[in-house]
Amino acid sequence: MKRLVILLLLGLSGISFAADTPLSQTEVYSTNYDARANIPTSLTREKAIRQIPAINPGEYFVPPDVGDIPTSKYGDTVKLGRNIFIDTQHYAKRYVGNGLNCSNCHLQEGRKAYAAPLWAAYPMYPAFRNKTRDVVTFEARVQDCFRYSMNGIAPTLDSPEIKAITSYAQWLSTGAPFNKELPGRGFARLGKPRDPTPVNGEKLYKESCASCHGWDGQGQKFSNRDGYMFPPLWGKDSFNHGAGMSTVKSCAQFSKANMPLGKGWTMNDMEAWDICTYIWLQDRPWDPRFGWFFNIFAPPTGGN
Amino acid sequence: VHGEGIEAAGYPRLAGLNAGYIKKQLQDLARELPLAGVVIESVAKDYSKTPRIYSDLTVFSPGIRHDAIMSPIAKQLSNTDMHNLALYFASLPYTAKPVAADYQVLERGQDLALRGKAEYGLPACVSCHAPDGEGFGADFPPLAGQPAIYIVNQINKWQQGQRDNDNLGLMKAVADQLTDADKLNAAAYYANRSLIVKGQ
Repeated sequence: MKRLVILLLLGLSGISFAADTPLSQTEVYSTNYDARANIPTSLTREKAIRQIPAINPGEYFVPPDVGDIPTSKYGDTVKLGRNIFIDTQHYAKRYVGNGLNCSNCHLQEGRKAYAAPLWAAYPMYPAFRNKTRDVVTFEARVQDCFRYSMNGIAPTLDSPEIKAITSYAQWLSTGAPFNKELPGRGFARLGKPRDPTPVNGEKLYKESCASCHGWDGQGQKFSNRDGYMFPPLWGKDSFNHGAGMSTVKSCAQFSKANMPLGKGWTMNDMEAWDICTYIWLQDRPWDPRFGWFFNIFAPPTGGN
Repeated sequence: VHGEGIEAAGYPRLAGLNAGYIKKQLQDLARELPLAGVVIESVAKDYSKTPRIYSDLTVFSPGIRHDAIMSPIAKQLSNTDMHNLALYFASLPYTAKPVAADYQVLERGQDLALRGKAEYGLPACVSCHAPDGEGFGADFPPLAGQPAIYIVNQINKWQQGQRDNDNLGLMKAVADQLTDADKLNAAAYYANRSLIVKGQ
């Protein structure tokens, strides 16, 4: 109170100690403070500082061009598969229980390396899956996407939707080596320097994710049409707790390579862990594998 | 004029743009440029030592946009002027007149606009500027219905450091990866789109 009065008096008399006792920057800011956000953002500079590997032509498999889809019955199935993939809300509406499209995570029509590209996934199936403890075919894997990531109902194995998506994945893999792990498959590799904290995650989320995905994580809807411009990260229109993106590690691996959109590889491992821990703590649809009792009293863990 | 811009001179249209976007641009145009040659060194983070406080200390650049014509004008506007101008231009209706372009240019522009370059990690225009290039919110302005020259000029400014007021530096990261042909193709594609904005 006394200090406040003194400050007020100083303010009134127009005297300021600011010039006399300047705060040393080294005292206020930790040496670990990163001035990245302070400088005019320059990607090349940022990349040089963080030693981000440049993507060189020929480093990743390049799938065929959309214009090269053949004009045949097979080509029509591929086109349908692509339509389902980029506009699931319209072309596979009956199987989808939330507001997402396949291409919300499999970025750029399932072509982008380290965003679970289809051209790297398709040639690897059938494969053993730890989640189901069984060997699954590609079709069965796509069914799981509908069940968990789309929080919906799995189309049957003989449904036109599964057939079309499988055709699209096969067409994208044209020329890819069979049963060989390609660079860019799945998500980025990720270290874990320390245990993640949602406290940091919340701050980072509000700083760099919230302007698109919303302060409440519910995404942003179009004003002039149906659907989401930016997909929801939690809430009723997001993926459920059984989805791969709901495990903290998968989310962090995805985010590191792809988020913020167009600025992949600019956050470090720990930032990705922190943000995804914060996202994982939020409310989202239950895991459909468990009954209500276990979902409430023993909810699934974030994994690690 | 009713805020529709001038095609040949590359002056952008303002009619029907998001009010928040117009206001921010005016504020950024009015801002003084930083001193030349001042470099703030970036220091690597060590989270094991500072787990809690780094975000509190993060300060964002308010955003700078330089233009030889508009900057002196914007400096004479008060905050209220900017607010009122933004609301006025946002309320104007607008109908775009598609500009013809070479078929191959449009095709390449469309490929960039709808799909980007996945092999380089370059996102598509539509992933932020909305499916028809009509823009989304105050951060993502419309591309459709803008003069092609204007769009190319702005990308050039990002590449040259004369404009740095985008959300999270997203457009800066994209502009860094665009070739000259990419700019022309994408701009021609969006100048070719039809668009009807009713105003607000």
